Parts: sequence; structure tokens; C-alpha cells
Amino acid sequence: MPRYAMVIDLRRCVGCGSCSISCRNENNVAEGFYWSHKITETSGTFPNVRYHYIPTLCNHCENPPCVRGCPTRAMHKLDNGITMHDPDKCIGCRYCMINCPYGVIYFNWKNAHASWKDNKAVIPNVTSSPAEEVRKNGGKGVPYFNPERGATLPDIRPKGVVEKCTFCDHRVSRDKLPRCVEACPADARVFGDLDDPKSEVNQLLGKFRPFRLKEAVGTEPAVYYIRDFSSAGYPRTKGGV
Amino acid sequence: MNRYNLWIGLLGLGILLGLWTTFKVYSVGFAVYAKTDVLVWTLPLSTYIFFSLTSAGLAFVSSFPVVFGIKRYEVIEKRTVYLEIAVLLGSFVCLILHLGAPLNVIYILLSPNPASPLWWLAVLYGAYFVLLLSAFWRIHTGSISKTLGMLVFIIAIFTSTTLGWLLGMTDARPSLNASFFSFYFPLTGLASGMAALLLFTMIYNYLTNQSLTADRDALFNEFARLMGIVAGVIGVLFLWRTVSGGISSTAVEYQAFKHMVGSIPYNIEFWLGLVAPTVLMLVPKIRATVGGKITASALLLVGMFAGRLEFVLSGVVRPLGQMAEGRPEIVSYMPTVYEVFVALFGFAVMLLVYSIGERYLKLEAVPD
Repeated sequence: MPRYAMVIDLRRCVGCGSCSISCRNENNVAEGFYWSHKITETSGTFPNVRYHYIPTLCNHCENPPCVRGCPTRAMHKLDNGITMHDPDKCIGCRYCMINCPYGVIYFNWKNAHASWKDNKAVIPNVTSSPAEEVRKNGGKGVPYFNPERGATLPDIRPKGVVEKCTFCDHRVSRDKLPRCVEACPADARVFGDLDDPKSEVNQLLGKFRPFRLKEAVGTEPAVYYIRDFSSAGYPRTKGGV
Repeated sequence: MNRYNLWIGLLGLGILLGLWTTFKVYSVGFAVYAKTDVLVWTLPLSTYIFFSLTSAGLAFVSSFPVVFGIKRYEVIEKRTVYLEIAVLLGSFVCLILHLGAPLNVIYILLSPNPASPLWWLAVLYGAYFVLLLSAFWRIHTGSISKTLGMLVFIIAIFTSTTLGWLLGMTDARPSLNASFFSFYFPLTGLASGMAALLLFTMIYNYLTNQSLTADRDALFNEFARLMGIVAGVIGVLFLWRTVSGGISSTAVEYQAFKHMVGSIPYNIEFWLGLVAPTVLMLVPKIRATVGGKITASALLLVGMFAGRLEFVLSGVVRPLGQMAEGRPEIVSYMPTVYEVFVALFGFAVMLLVYSIGERYLKLEAVPD
């Protein structure tokens, strides 16, 4: 059985957001939810400042605190290392959200895609209403509805339960890459099996010094980051007093 | 209309308001709360913690005669156990309205996870409630069961400390003060349990114009002094918690707690809930009066209620990981009207159950 992981090459990542948009389409993710997201930081003091962009998603930790704390095993590990969630067993206590150090779990506070149920056109007699768009495209809830998501998880999650990235388990089980990996135009995301010494992820982890988010917490994330991008240079110096 | 019917009518209104809130929560969704993906635990949960720990505290009080053999407390045993049941029911109401999918609670039995403190808490509360009902039934039929009393005492220790474990396990949020609360929760629970019993007994005596016998008067004075001492001890612990997590810690994770230090709930908890009752109950002249006891116990309960909210918020107001994206370092919180209604619903259920018992179950009766 494979043990899946993802390596994100920060030098290749251009911060275009394709991962987030493709994830939204693939998983029928509702507005306000980010199964695939980012952390942006600004470092330095003006005028010497720099912008950092770190793409984020569920880390599918080896020691997941969300799984350990879930009272009904709704949050659970698959044999292939994916941290999965079963909405049918979820009691909506949100203890997983309290336990997750990465802030990647979301709670359905209300029915998903509420804005797409609106029958009012944005510009009357010119544009169609959101609800008309959904009907025209034959969607369910959203015009970009993907029925394939329903293979392993409710295609649209009900209110009162949590949800998060599943490493596109429904695609992986059919030997397809997660949608964010496939959609990345810069090939900054590399997916594979940590237990296969020859896999691309292992090749990268052996070549570059990786880091993971909040390693000190001991969750053993399966999402690794390598390299960093900076086109900046500087004249050789020893500083000064 | 007499005073009792008016009171029951008022509580009935509170329950209607609660039922309306329940309907809104499960039809519209939890969006009726002050929802954000950062503030995942708020007033409904803190009210649950308040009730739950008060109930555990009452269990400790009820153990005085049964477990520790302090026979003079047998005269308040029946009221204590009944109040424990009423308070526990109030906690269940708030807990249910905190859960997004309460019907799935069946999976706690069908798909158990003993690694989860939340699972243990659910199991313990189920057993606790059954034991409490049995213990009360024995007292109501005229005798105290030592075995049931002992079991209730042990299980109350486990419920209150497991609640501390539940939060102590969250490595992601050390500002919840980790295992410190496995000690702090039972102790503060004892304080609020004592305050609840004192308050309800004093109000009952006042409303029924009953003058206390010398024995009972001495008992309640002793009880009030003990409550003051417990509040004082908690005050010291409270200050050390502030010093360690709120002042001296340099860890960024403690920013949430640092933000809560000096906030309104923090000050209510410390000054009204701990300092004032300690001072009031350690002054013999004030302690001897019914008004003094009512004031001190009511203040302590108000302080504990605010304290539970302060505690919950100190774990959640600072967004973690990607949740911090586009958000301020600390997220502010103001409960919505529906969250307030949930708390009122819990109080209404607790007070209604208690008031019915006070009227029909002879809570003054002393078991054999």
C-alpha cells in the first residue's frame, strides 16, 4: 500500500492560484472554504521588503491530532496515508478544528452554495440569475458541479459538519493525480509514494533540504516544501558596526 | 396568579425562546451564531462548560456526607443531588445546540474512538446521568446509597478532569493552558457547585419565610466560609495562570490569552467571581447574613460564567495557520442574540426542572 505525500517546490510556484481554483471545481467547494489555500507573509523593513507565498492544504499528517481527537472516527486515516472525513459520522463538535495546527478544516455553518440559489439577476433583463446559471449548466448547487466528487464523499457536504482537502482520494483511487497537482501550470506540486524509494517525491526530498509547517508540533505532515524563490542578489559584504 | 405560577410562566417563555432558537439553528444553520472559521467555540460551549463543572462541583458537595462521612451535610443531600440533575440537564441543552449534527451522536456508540477525550466525556456523562437519577431515587425513597454516592463522586472527578484533558491535548493551542485545567476545572467546579447550592437554599428559605434552626444556620455559615476559602485559593491559581501564560510567556501561541487578560470577562471572573466572594465570606458579620450569602454566591456564579467564556475565547481568538490569511492577529467576539438565547435556554431548563422539584419532591426532606 502506498504512503502518499506531496512536495511543493516554492521556486517553481508562481502564486497563480490555479491549485485553489481547480480544487474548488473538482470538489464542489463552497464559497468561503479553502481546501487549497495559501499563507502570505511580508518580511523586511521598507524599502527592503519581500513577499513570501506558501501554498497550503491539509497536511495529511502521520500523527494527525484531528483524527486522535475525533470521538466518532469521522476523521480517520486511510491505509494510503490520506486523512479522510466521513460526514455521516461527524457530530459537528469542531474539536478537529481546535486540534488542527494548520487551520485547514472548515465547518459548514449553513447550506453550501447559498448564493447560487438566488433567482434575482445581477442586472435585470441583461444577465441571468445565479439559479438560472445552475439550471442551464445542469449543475447541482453550482454551475461547475462535478458529480465525480460523490464517489467517496457527499458531492456537496451538508450543513453542520466539517470538511477539508482529501488529496483528491476519489481521483487517486483511479490512478489519477490530485486535481491541484494536475492543474499546476508550473509543475510546482509533485505527488507520489513515500514508501517507493524511486518515486519523484523521494528523489526531490533526497536532493533538496525540505521543511514542513510547524514541525515542532510533531504531527509529521505529508506535505513537504523545497527550495525558495528569490531573484535577488547582493554585493559581497561582512556587514558593519 | 401566585408568585410560583408567574415564575413558571417566565421560565416557560425562556423555553419557548430556546425552542425557537433550536428551530433557527437547525433550519438556517449555525450561521445564526457569531460564526467564523476562527471562532469555532463560543458562548454555547462556554455555557455548557459552566453548567457541567457546576454539576461536578455539586457532586463533590454531595459526597461530603456519603463519601467523607461528614454526617451534618446529610440535611442538604437531597437538594444537592436534585440540583445536580437540573444543572446537568441545562448543560445538555447547551451542548446539543453547540453540535452541528447532534443526531450523529449515535456514532459515539457505533464507531467509538477511545483515544479521544471527547468520546470519554460522552460516555462518562451518559453514565453520570443514569447514576445521578438512581442516587436521587434512593434518596427520594428515604435512604442514601453509599455505593451510588461513591460512584457519582468518582465519575464527577473524571468528567471534570477529562474536560481538562480534552483541552490539554490541543498542542495547537497551548493558550488553553494544557493540563493545568485538569486541576483548575474540578476546583472551580467545586466553587460554583457550592455557590449554586448556597444560592438556591438561601433563596428558598427567604421565599418561604423559613427561619433556620441553629444547627442549620451553623452549617450554612461553615459552608459559606468554605466557599470563600475555595474562591480565594482559585484566585491565587488564577493569578499564577495570568503570570505564566499572560505575562511571562514569550510563545506566540499565548497571544490569544494575553489578549484576554484585562478583558471584560477576565475582570468579571477575577474581581466579581473570586475576590469579592472571598472577602465577603471571610468577614464573619457579612457571612452570617442571608443577604451576604446570596450576594457572594451569586457573584461567584456570575464570575464563573464569565470565566468559562474567557477561557474558551483564550483558545480561539487568535487564528491559526491558513485561517490567519486576510484576518487580524486577534479576532474580536460579540455573541449574537441566538447565542444568548441558547444560554438562556440552558438556564430556563435548569431552573424549571429545579423549581418543579422544589415544589413537588420535598427537597428539604432528610434521608434516613
